Amino acid sequence: MSFLAVTGFQAALLALITAGVIVALYFLKLRHRRVMVASSLLWGRVLDEQQSHSLWEKLRRMISILLAVVIGLLIALAVARPEVHWLTGGGEHTLLVLDTSPSMLARTSDGQTRWEHAVDSAIRLVNASAPSSEFRVADTAGRVDAASTSDRREVREAIQRMKPTAAVARFPDVDPDTTQVRFITDGVVPLPPPRGTQRVSVFQEAENVGITAFEIRTTPSADLAYEAYLEVHNYGKSAKSTTLTITGVGSRRIDRELNLKAGEDFSQPFDLSKFEGGPIRATLQSSGDALPIDNLAYAYLPVKQKTRTLVVTTGNSYLETLLQLDSLVEPTIIKPAQYRPDPTFDAYILDGFVPADAPPRPSLLMGSEFNAGWLPKQTGTIPGPRFEAWAEEHPVMRYVSLHDVLVDKAARVAADRLTVLAETKDKSPLILASDEPGKPRWILLTFALQGSDFPLHTGFPLFVDNALAWLSREPLALRRQPGLVSVPMEQAEIKTLDGAVVESHRDGNATVFDAPEPGLYSATHDTFKQYVAVNLSSSQYSNINKTVSQKDAPASLAAGWFQQELWVYMLIAAALLIAAEWFTYHRGITL
Amino acid sequence: MATTVSLFNDEFLKKLEYLSILSKRLFAGQFRAERRAKRRGTGLEFADYRQYVAGDDFRHLDWKAYLRLNRLILRLFEEEEDLPIYLFVDVSQSMTYGDPSKVDYARRVAAALCYIGLSNLDRVHVVAYADKIRGELAPQRGKGRIFRVFKFLEEVSVGGETNAKESFKFYCTETRRRGLAVVVSDFFDTAGFQSGLDILRHFKHDMFILHIASHEEVDPALKGELVLVDSENNVSREVTVTPSLLASYKAEYTRFCTEIEEYCSKYQLGYIRTVTDFPFEELVLKVFRQGRFLK
Repeated sequence: MSFLAVTGFQAALLALITAGVIVALYFLKLRHRRVMVASSLLWGRVLDEQQSHSLWEKLRRMISILLAVVIGLLIALAVARPEVHWLTGGGEHTLLVLDTSPSMLARTSDGQTRWEHAVDSAIRLVNASAPSSEFRVADTAGRVDAASTSDRREVREAIQRMKPTAAVARFPDVDPDTTQVRFITDGVVPLPPPRGTQRVSVFQEAENVGITAFEIRTTPSADLAYEAYLEVHNYGKSAKSTTLTITGVGSRRIDRELNLKAGEDFSQPFDLSKFEGGPIRATLQSSGDALPIDNLAYAYLPVKQKTRTLVVTTGNSYLETLLQLDSLVEPTIIKPAQYRPDPTFDAYILDGFVPADAPPRPSLLMGSEFNAGWLPKQTGTIPGPRFEAWAEEHPVMRYVSLHDVLVDKAARVAADRLTVLAETKDKSPLILASDEPGKPRWILLTFALQGSDFPLHTGFPLFVDNALAWLSREPLALRRQPGLVSVPMEQAEIKTLDGAVVESHRDGNATVFDAPEPGLYSATHDTFKQYVAVNLSSSQYSNINKTVSQKDAPASLAAGWFQQELWVYMLIAAALLIAAEWFTYHRGITL
Repeated sequence: MATTVSLFNDEFLKKLEYLSILSKRLFAGQFRAERRAKRRGTGLEFADYRQYVAGDDFRHLDWKAYLRLNRLILRLFEEEEDLPIYLFVDVSQSMTYGDPSKVDYARRVAAALCYIGLSNLDRVHVVAYADKIRGELAPQRGKGRIFRVFKFLEEVSVGGETNAKESFKFYCTETRRRGLAVVVSDFFDTAGFQSGLDILRHFKHDMFILHIASHEEVDPALKGELVLVDSENNVSREVTVTPSLLASYKAEYTRFCTEIEEYCSKYQLGYIRTVTDFPFEELVLKVFRQGRFLK
């Protein structure tokens, strides 16, 4: 016998103290009540007669003490939660892992999802296990990892808290005291469990045609034109006919009948030049589809408009020519003396001119000397700086090469809390960007265009176009998968397409919210708005018939004679003995 | 005794006046009264004839018989004398037990019997006893003495152990005329109830036993761990009162009552047992009459 709540020594001590206290209390009874009787004559005769039964009296007293001690010990030891393995079959520490990948949402032939089968299996395992067995329940998404407990209610609640999500699947770490690991999965996401893991498979073949890619991208050959790239794959075992529908704002829509053989895919860009800016939705409709979550995908089509740009310059033919030739820009060129803050412009380009106060709209600044409070302080000059590294992933620097760009001199500034887009070998920033919440964005070139051959390079027009797009144009939607979605914006307010606010929380510099299903969300912070398209769009999850799983676990865990912990039965026994003692006491059988 | 007096309302007293105490035997009285005596005398009730002898009161000669038979025949009349009634009231400490207490009940019964006796011109002796004679009221006669009886019963001291044998022996060894001895007691006597009654029997008294019990001792509501304290001698005994023990006690009490009853039956003594919560008037007016103690 072992004890779950205390050590063996503590249990023995507890039993000893309990028995001692009960026996002591039995003999240290309360003072007898004094009752006056007319005469003890008759009582004396009765008591004298009863003394002849003294052996029975002693025995009766012994039975009373014995009953009291047994009741006390049962209660005291119940507190210690005893465990006898051959009775309760306990002592197991089981790690129960449920696969929460989106493929678990596939429906099986009985109408339930694989996930529902997995939950049922998990609860069956828990219910059939020995009462004292402890379970640690975890999912593969890392969202639920309940502490090990033998409380069945807690275990069941932890299981019910789980739900399939498109997070990166990861098998939870196995504690050293874990005696067995159970993994309930459909095996679609290859997740090698530790050795000795017993897998419970909920896999069943099913038909599925799903969207595996859907995104909006600019059309390189046309100004302000976008196209939607879409991929559909038939992962079923038979040919399927499905209707593809792409809908946008207003009545714009594209319908396409697709006949896909088993394993065949369809991929095609769709011209959205006639669609107005706004949400775009792609849906698939086919009969007998087992996984609805990949039949729907969202994207956001940016509103098309030219950038009205105020250019303040003393004269820069390269820049002026570039802006006038750029079909995406509508420039207004003025001298520095004519500068007046005007919020009706979309963006400002300040060439060799820095106003005392920040412009009311985002701005691109160029110059090797500046002195304004809203810009970083200039600490010196860098003669002949060379570009050593630049942020190729940043939207401003996309497709921009700075190789062999020569610069006469540049201002030395500190880049505290600023994004460095390009820097020298000694980490001195040459191009900086500010994306401070609540303030207009700005991009700063710490060198003058006139003192550089940057305008002569092919990357210059791309840089200006990217910069103006980043400063003022609507960005493309971020692409995420269902589950916990992170948006790189601090304290953003997340809304659905219907305008409902989604609960979110801050995670460092990002905002995180839960998106269980495909959808288009907007993240807003002050004046900046970013769309987030949440789509499954994963050939891995949609391929619900590709499994590596096998069923190698028995249906249930071996249990002992009793289905509850021993303390339950001990308390019941104590209650029964108390009832028996009450019954016999009131009938004078015990004292 | 205020309670006693209050119970003796006019209506009840009138009812008592129609009653008289019966005695199975005839005793010689001291004064003329309304009760038949052993002696022939000058009463109104004709009793017998006998031959005239010199010295007889010739006023009782039956002259008609003389004319018819030519013999002097004397008419005899029953002498009506008073009956000595001895009321022994147990005032030991055990009699204070119960609610109402047995001693109060005994006092009322004694007072009622005294009133009946006094109404019938009997000579009533009231004796309070416990471990000894605790009080004795000089013989009373006539209804007008009832208040003395009340006063005596009211003032008599209560307490002490029961020792009927010594008490009765002390009382009876004085020159006493035989009569009707009424013993009102709970008979909790460590020497045994027989010892006291034997003394009275020895002195040839006609006897009537009124056994008073309280409900608490007939059917005690005791339970659990107790110390039972004897009210008379303060002897205590630890006891665990269980239902079985309680049943044993009740059986013992029944046996005790049966013993007294059998004793009385054996010696042809009148016996009535009552409990203190039994209505007093009903006891006097009905039970005593049914028990042939009153008529």
